[in-house]
Amino acid sequence: MRIGIDVGGTHTDAALLQGDTLLAATKASTSADVVSGITAAFDHILEKSGVAAGDIECVMIGTTQFTNAVVERRELAKTAAIRIGLPSGKGLRPFTDWPQDIAEAIGGMDFMIRGGTLYDGAELAPLDEDAIDQAIAKIGASPVRQIAISAAFAPLNSNPEEWVARKIKARMPDALVTCSHTIGGLGLLERENAAILNAALLPFAERVVASFELALKRRGIACPLFISQNDGTLMGAKFVQSFPALTFASGPTNSLRGAWKLTGREDALVVDIGGTTSDIGVLQSGFPRESYNIVDVGGVRTNFRMPDILAIGVGGGSVVAEDGHSIGPHSVGHYLKEEARIFGGEQLTLTDIAVATDALELGDASKVADLDPALVEAARSTMQNMLDEAIDRMRPGGRKLPVILVGGGAALVTEKLTAATETIIPKNSGTANAIGAAIAQIGGEAEQMVSYKDVPRSEAMAKVEAEAKRSAVLAGAAAETLKVVDVDEAPVPYMEKGAMRLRVKVVGELASLGGVT
Amino acid sequence: MRITADDLDALALGSVFLATGGGGDPYIPKLITARALAEYGPAPIIAPADLPDDAFVCALGSVGAPTVSLELLPSIDEASGTLDAFEAHLGRKIDAVAAFEIGGGNSLIPLLAAAARGIPMIDGDGMARALPEAQMMTYAMQGISPTPSVAYDYQGNIAHFDCSDPLEYESVIRQHAVDNGGMITTAEHPMSGAECKAAIIPGTLSFALKLGRLLGDNRGPVNVLVEPLERVFENTIYGACRLVYSGKVGAKTSRVVGGYDVGEAVIESLESDQEPLTITIKNEYLLAQVGAQIIASVPDLIVIVDAETSMPINAERLRYGQRVAVFVIGAPQVYKTASALEVVGPRYFGFEHDYRPFQ
Repeated sequence: MRIGIDVGGTHTDAALLQGDTLLAATKASTSADVVSGITAAFDHILEKSGVAAGDIECVMIGTTQFTNAVVERRELAKTAAIRIGLPSGKGLRPFTDWPQDIAEAIGGMDFMIRGGTLYDGAELAPLDEDAIDQAIAKIGASPVRQIAISAAFAPLNSNPEEWVARKIKARMPDALVTCSHTIGGLGLLERENAAILNAALLPFAERVVASFELALKRRGIACPLFISQNDGTLMGAKFVQSFPALTFASGPTNSLRGAWKLTGREDALVVDIGGTTSDIGVLQSGFPRESYNIVDVGGVRTNFRMPDILAIGVGGGSVVAEDGHSIGPHSVGHYLKEEARIFGGEQLTLTDIAVATDALELGDASKVADLDPALVEAARSTMQNMLDEAIDRMRPGGRKLPVILVGGGAALVTEKLTAATETIIPKNSGTANAIGAAIAQIGGEAEQMVSYKDVPRSEAMAKVEAEAKRSAVLAGAAAETLKVVDVDEAPVPYMEKGAMRLRVKVVGELASLGGVT
Repeated sequence: MRITADDLDALALGSVFLATGGGGDPYIPKLITARALAEYGPAPIIAPADLPDDAFVCALGSVGAPTVSLELLPSIDEASGTLDAFEAHLGRKIDAVAAFEIGGGNSLIPLLAAAARGIPMIDGDGMARALPEAQMMTYAMQGISPTPSVAYDYQGNIAHFDCSDPLEYESVIRQHAVDNGGMITTAEHPMSGAECKAAIIPGTLSFALKLGRLLGDNRGPVNVLVEPLERVFENTIYGACRLVYSGKVGAKTSRVVGGYDVGEAVIESLESDQEPLTITIKNEYLLAQVGAQIIASVPDLIVIVDAETSMPINAERLRYGQRVAVFVIGAPQVYKTASALEVVGPRYFGFEHDYRPFQ
């Protein structure tokens, strides 16, 4: 048996699963003290199901704490940035184009050093070992212990970054280091930014993991602990202590994976309807479709792979205009219980409309009994149209697919969505995110720029695939269960024929609990 | 006229629009240009008509893959270093610089060189849009030799070229880029002020800025943009601008045409009875057709914008499901001669039809 927990900004959801069967689920407010929030969730589902703490084999946690830390500029440690790439890139130092407040919170120390690789694998410049020694000495003499290392074309050749990391470890054993090639793909500035954010979160990651472990210990749960990451796969607790930034989008990802688990639909659109927005994502072979765009995290440009999510202002708290023909984006949010009509408030929200149409039983229905039926119908159909249009935008290749509704606001939708082949509201749709956390698998990926003129396609593919598998096994996957789930091949524009950017992603089962998911 | 850091967003936006899907992401070129303008002050701009006939001018820009410069970050030195090497090679001071093309980084590189050197950038370019090869520039078409030229790589290595045939020059310089890190900066097409006036497409830089400001002011649903956009192209070197199609991006496929790997994007109409529009891509958007009927083809400009934000979309950012509007703008007159069409017309790109101007 295993427990999935989703620690969100407002709610902590938990689900207990045995094999494919959901035994118990719970939803509670997130407490300021994360440990007691999690222990309360444990108590609730163990009591509800009658399962003993000793029978829990695995706990998976999805958390937005690291995203919130970046957005709110707290818990961030000062980080030194070392970039290997001179003589190129002189004009653009690390921390270029960062918002001032976060640059001040993290930055202040950066180094640019000769070295790195070219697109074809040739040496950009010999690594300047003296300059590296000087940089390490300078950092060593300062209080800064977090270091981010980036190098030109590091996804193609990680040796320069690894060499510098080893040197730092030897000279400063207490340093916490992030190498850019371990965290992002091509795009030096964005990958470097991602590595800096990750390094700045490393001390906080140790505290967060310690608090999760403490919560397990307090309830006598002695089993492996995993944290869910952006792509819907898991990382071990030790791994998240090195890669906290890989959790940035785990919230929406877990909803998508939970929707897959609840319905068994491998290819579908998922609409997660919350209080303020509806987040629409796409399931492809049971995993979230990823976005190819630059992702802004707290104002910093990064190239993390995140699920492709379209958010529109339709949620339970969205405010309905007087004529019913326009909805949101303003929402009463978590003041629903004070401001919505059915709770005696003044605002007409989508929740009020749902109660007026008998789709929902909540609050005092008499408060919406006198609403003009034309207004109610206009609001209902406006909402359906907004959802239909957004779903239509996300459909892969123009195909019509089933739509799975999850989240607290799923009950708002009362009629079949015309953009869908069918509309599914699964049982327990409210805790899809916690269920999603509980079924995550282990993954790995690798990316390289290759020329099919020099290396045959099959050989290049095999090499990148082997690299992806190696990283999955390192993260805790059972090698024999690994499957390729995504291959992305894109020609490099304005270059000789055959130059390609090749990325392979593999996913497999947890080695410690083979077959559990 | 001078260009300041405040103009860069608009200039980049207008340039991406005129780059017709190609030219790469302007983010990094914009960052370094902003730094150059902060360090050296605004870049002076000169109209071609104001150039002295005996001025000494060259075209300056980068050659290679925009994807490479995501890792091999460009810097200010490359633009000014290229000019230094060019002057040393020719033994003459450059009085003003001109752009290869309007698009992604190449409309900004001469600007940062101009700012760093305190010499003017000429308001104009050799393409009035983005196109992939050197012989497609009006400088070459007007008979100006591409060489002597110099190329400057990421290490500051300098190479000299001597090759008067534009087609051959294109293949030599492209290979040099491939062999030297994938991205180089070149100064080429040395010309006098008088020659430049005859060859350059005038006013395209200030037009890109004006267009970018218009786009910036009209962010939002594309129906608001249509009328002002059509108006801004009136009485310019371009032909008429028309909205030709609205829909959403459906399937994207690829096939081989005339030896090139060519991509295709299908835009599906939201009206069910309308046939989809197919856009053929080779770096830029080159051909738009509904069924067998050709709506527009290179050198006319085919531009795709996001229907909700009105922002132009680069080919690599075009994505399934996006709601888009497709505009066509008539090519500048200089591209409509028989000799120009030989190097920028549909047949050069491997299509099997002749150019018919967009009406």
